[in-house]
Amino acid sequence: MKKRAAGFILIFLFVNPLFLRADAPLETVKRQVNKVLDVLRDPALKGKAGEEKKKAKIRSISEEMFDFLELSRRTLGPNWRKFNEVQQKEFIDLYKSILEDAYIDKIVAYRDEKVVFNDEKKLTGKTFEVRTTIVTKRADIPINYRVILEDGEWKVYDVVIEGVSLINNYRSQFREILLNNTPDALLDKLRKKVGKA
Amino acid sequence: MKFTRYSSIVLLCFFLFWSNAFATSLSAGPETSIEEKTETEMPSSNEERPETLESPGSLEMSEPEKTEVTNEFADEEYVEEILEIADPLYPWNKAMYHFNDKFYFWFLKPVSRGYSAVVPEDLRIAVSNFFHNLTTPIRLINNVLQLKFKNAGNELLRFSYNSTIGIGGLIDAAKIHLKIRRSDEDFGQTLGSYGMGHGFYIIWPFIGPSSMRDTVGTIGDGFLNPVNYVRPVETAVGIHAYDEVNDTSFHIGEYEDLKKSAIDPYISIRDAYIQHRKKKVEE
Repeated sequence: MKKRAAGFILIFLFVNPLFLRADAPLETVKRQVNKVLDVLRDPALKGKAGEEKKKAKIRSISEEMFDFLELSRRTLGPNWRKFNEVQQKEFIDLYKSILEDAYIDKIVAYRDEKVVFNDEKKLTGKTFEVRTTIVTKRADIPINYRVILEDGEWKVYDVVIEGVSLINNYRSQFREILLNNTPDALLDKLRKKVGKA
Repeated sequence: MKFTRYSSIVLLCFFLFWSNAFATSLSAGPETSIEEKTETEMPSSNEERPETLESPGSLEMSEPEKTEVTNEFADEEYVEEILEIADPLYPWNKAMYHFNDKFYFWFLKPVSRGYSAVVPEDLRIAVSNFFHNLTTPIRLINNVLQLKFKNAGNELLRFSYNSTIGIGGLIDAAKIHLKIRRSDEDFGQTLGSYGMGHGFYIIWPFIGPSSMRDTVGTIGDGFLNPVNYVRPVETAVGIHAYDEVNDTSFHIGEYEDLKKSAIDPYISIRDAYIQHRKKKVEE
């Protein structure tokens, strides 16, 4: 009986930190990235049709993985307030399409590079940076995911590739445009980019 | 690093002139070069912000998050760092941007493509390793200048190991056997680590984005690059061109992707350049 109790305590002690760790930023990112890798490595998805299926699956994973509201807000920075609610909604949609269009081909083109999950670094009270490396034959490419706790889940709001932050890069572009243009004009540009104009 | 010694000196003189001219004009104007400023433009509604937003409990409540978006920037979380670089040479830079764009699509890309179709990847990697090994003096000296003695020692170790066991630098044996990684340092980073700002942004034909500081750095490094001591000068230029083609063969598609993803490619590249360089300096 005593032994069993001790066993229970031991299991509890071991399981508990493991359980907590499952919710850590690094684990969350790792889980999502591995999901994407599984889709990419799926031997059943071949050819043109397979590629389209891959893209659709990756899109739905990115929906879970990213917080596009947070991402959009941070990208626009103080300019976010210049957009009314309807414009903000449209901005999020268009921005998301642009990002997906820009990166999906790159992701699908992935071959057999190894992804190494290094560590996580606390940025602020509720944001972390998960540091990963893509190891290719020729060079190591550092890719960091910045995550924020949203409804008990870590969601990605920025990706930093070789020191270049995605949202900072777009912010510099949007800011330049918004210096001389209205939010509507910016949205129009984005619509054209996406092909919805 | 694509300079011959002679042109380096000419460019250095050119730059000393320009840097003086701009230093005076920049310090005079109200729009001085904002090097690395943190955006502090915050709404005045700091006190209106609901207390709950700061408490961890608010994480479960999606309501205030979505309805009070306009107040979001009162949150300290949204203070994002903004990097800026003065761009007084904008007309020149824009012209060079277009020039390099055409140069890439009409010359560099087709040549690199043809080259990579003929030369297998492993051989191209060996060439890349060879040139990297050759430029060890640059990294060695700059590590020393930044007082990174451990990295300097590692560079020395890498050089001797790769030059011998790595067959004249063709194989990065030090990385494979000794697990000693490259430590990329250049004189631009050294100047940056001493607190020198970029000055202003400049795009060079063939070479691409740079800044006043990094151009001075590139020229400085040029003196440490053995290739620049090859004579006649045409041969040195040829070697640099080959290095460039070989290097580009690994990156075909990246520039296209960047252009495709950008709303304004010129600004996107400028921003990526300073973000990337900042990280390099901090490392």
